[in-house]
Amino acid sequence: MIPSPLSRPAVAADLPFLSAEPLDLVGLLAKSHHPEAGAVVLFSGEVRDNDPQTDVDYLEYEAQEAMAAKSIKQILDDACEKFPLKIALAQHRVGKVGVSESAVVVITASPHRAEAYSANRYIIDRIKHESPIWKCEYFKDGTKEWGGNCNCQKITGDANKHVYEWTEEKK
Amino acid sequence: MTIEVFAVLKDYFQKEFQLQSSAKNISELKLQLTRQNPEAANVLDLCRFAVHDEFVDQNFSINPNDTISVIPPSSGG
Repeated sequence: MIPSPLSRPAVAADLPFLSAEPLDLVGLLAKSHHPEAGAVVLFSGEVRDNDPQTDVDYLEYEAQEAMAAKSIKQILDDACEKFPLKIALAQHRVGKVGVSESAVVVITASPHRAEAYSANRYIIDRIKHESPIWKCEYFKDGTKEWGGNCNCQKITGDANKHVYEWTEEKK
Repeated sequence: MTIEVFAVLKDYFQKEFQLQSSAKNISELKLQLTRQNPEAANVLDLCRFAVHDEFVDQNFSINPNDTISVIPPSSGG
């Protein structure tokens, strides 16, 4: 039997899209090998401390969990239709995440690297703009700030239209 | 109806609350929430609304037993 190009290994199907526990990057990568994939790309979005004024202590992520899970699933399904992926998975943290910890992981595997990179970027880009997940920065001085909102609707005039970093490859 | 808010909106409203409302659609509900808390007007203006976990538009009809999520612009990743 020829495997369907959309078939995904069990790791992707069983993986919860949101996790209150630290993301197991190494474990996820270890399970992200496929005999027809010559390229595996792992993106980890990590908490950084680069605010010159106030030091970031930690971030806290909140989600409308049912909708965020549905959104991530839809984005992965769309990516699998758009690109020849053998593996596509994504998981986002909720709750408290410390500096240098991973807040979101996206793994893509495809026969060649161009598609694995493109698909990975497509997925993370859409998750950041579309999935109902929010971060709050907690600073060492005890203050907090909800931030980094997608503000595309100021440009597009529509809360459902976004300006993505990812763009179709120009041939 | 039950209203649940997220992220920065929690600075203005309880995370989840019951609202006595005669709002017939999302647009009227948004107006009511804005009147209830004018300081939240700018944020509410950028929000999307969802009924029973599905995004809906401003004209969507709502009922007293609905659970409505007020969804600010995303900031995940």
